[in-house]
Amino acid sequence: MYLQQLQLKQFRNYAEQTVDFCAPKTILVGDNAQGKSNVLEAIELLATLNSHRTHRDRELVQWGQAIAHIQGTVTRDAGPAELGMTFRQKARRTVAVNGQSLRRQLDGLGILNAVQFSSLDLDLVRGGPERRRAWLDGLLVQLEPVYAHVLQQYNRVLRQRNALLRAQAKRLRGEAVTGDRSTPLLPETDANTDNQALWDAQLAVAGARVIRRRSRALTLIAPHAQTWQQQMSNAQEMLQLTYCPNVPLPAEDAETKIPSQEIVQQAFLAAIRAKATAEYHQGMSLVGPHRDDISLEINGQPARQFGSQGQQRTVVLSLKLAELMTVESVIGEPPLLLLDDVLAELDLTRQDRLLSTIQDRFQTVITTTHLGAFDAGWRSGSQVLEVKEGALRSPSLS
Amino acid sequence: MPGIGPKSAQRLALHLLKRPDAEIEALANALLEAKSQVGQCRQCFHLSAEPLCSICQDMRRDRQTLCVVTDSREVIALEKTREFRGLYHVLGGVISPMDGVGPEALTIQQLVQRVAGRSPSTPQEIQGGQPSTQASNLPKIKEVILAIGPSVEGETTTLYIAQLIKPFTKVTRIAFGLPVGGDLEYADEVTLARALEGRQELE
Repeated sequence: MYLQQLQLKQFRNYAEQTVDFCAPKTILVGDNAQGKSNVLEAIELLATLNSHRTHRDRELVQWGQAIAHIQGTVTRDAGPAELGMTFRQKARRTVAVNGQSLRRQLDGLGILNAVQFSSLDLDLVRGGPERRRAWLDGLLVQLEPVYAHVLQQYNRVLRQRNALLRAQAKRLRGEAVTGDRSTPLLPETDANTDNQALWDAQLAVAGARVIRRRSRALTLIAPHAQTWQQQMSNAQEMLQLTYCPNVPLPAEDAETKIPSQEIVQQAFLAAIRAKATAEYHQGMSLVGPHRDDISLEINGQPARQFGSQGQQRTVVLSLKLAELMTVESVIGEPPLLLLDDVLAELDLTRQDRLLSTIQDRFQTVITTTHLGAFDAGWRSGSQVLEVKEGALRSPSLS
Repeated sequence: MPGIGPKSAQRLALHLLKRPDAEIEALANALLEAKSQVGQCRQCFHLSAEPLCSICQDMRRDRQTLCVVTDSREVIALEKTREFRGLYHVLGGVISPMDGVGPEALTIQQLVQRVAGRSPSTPQEIQGGQPSTQASNLPKIKEVILAIGPSVEGETTTLYIAQLIKPFTKVTRIAFGLPVGGDLEYADEVTLARALEGRQELE
């Protein structure tokens, strides 16, 4: 997979810019706030339809403009494809493949695959569970684009169920609730119990799908992560990745076998029943994959508490390399690697390890404030572009 | 107004200004009249100028089959197909706690009464109020078709209604999947997954 060209129009601080990627490695160098990360953000958007920097499309549009457009030309084994996205100040975005705008935007997923590694990812080990969930979800969307829909459905049910629980908790405290009719047509208590049982069931169905897919993705990536950690620690460290679903999963005989949808749903409903009183009083859903975590252990000790700074960095790098390998093995082509200001955070040994892994197999786009920050090996055979005030150019030969 | 952007709105406004006074007056009156006269059918809650809509009044229709939809727009769409000869029931929305819409805000209770045979079902009964002796012999509703869109809320509403009326009648739901004339390869993944879920054995 190779991203040949990227066009930015009125996107962030770029008025109009075409980037031709003519080497496996592209280094974007420039001072802060010149627009380096904006280029990576555009690639991230094309690959995942999401930006980790904002959820609001209007922030992507250049100041004073109504629309922004980005387009990428991707070459894959199956042939070339053009992927375009248009963002608007005041309306919904559109996603287009080869000039045809898509009715369902999720269909734009899977055309470009990219693994992102930024300095923020160093929080993967230290940060809260939501960081690790987001990481796993991002990986899953790359592996099976339909997961984006599965997760969206779950979140929708969750929001509806939370609204219902909140309304019940309010009623419990004797407050007026919007939408509450003074003379209910259905017997109040029956209707409410039925209604909630229904949302419980919906949550269990949608949630079980999320749980099973997350569990499956983790069994794919865990061995890769283990191998990398071993290599980088000279076989001193054993990294154990374990999925910790909030809904306890029944044990299965075979290690890799994931319980059936039916079994997970039953376990989910049992967990809901166990927390029913707490949910009723707190007025929100306390059970489900929105509370999952992934445990990272080095030699049996939680990396979060016991890992040294250096160890934690190694773990993050192992996870990212494992992500790269997993995406490659599932989709059959090497994905892009986006390194946002992160190389400087790694010492020379780790930089070397990363470099020798990607070689020229994974197309890589790197941002940095100064070229001196990393090993000369990175520069050889790389395309260097200078970023200044929303414009890219080849560096002047001075 | 839904579906009309600023440019279309301008075009419509300028067009109206150019028309003769009489035409505008007729339009204005038509709007007023529609607003004051159109209400809901007492039986199916479809839009109607009379207490009982034309569909419910039509004795040639199959009174044993009910099609449940969320909105009057869907009745109009289904009527265009001329495929369905039964009666309708318009819910007026879907269950959505986020918007404060519980089951009691929809016409679900009325639907249950209709299906359970506890409400008058012929035009004579509804208008006359006098339950005729014939009423008890009238065929009960034999099938209820749930035709609610497959959103999270639609799905929940479908399941909710299904469990309420199952004791009284056969409950079915419309199929979801590939559009007719559509190519398998052009269908999006979500739709394909849905179509696989709803597969049927060949007889």
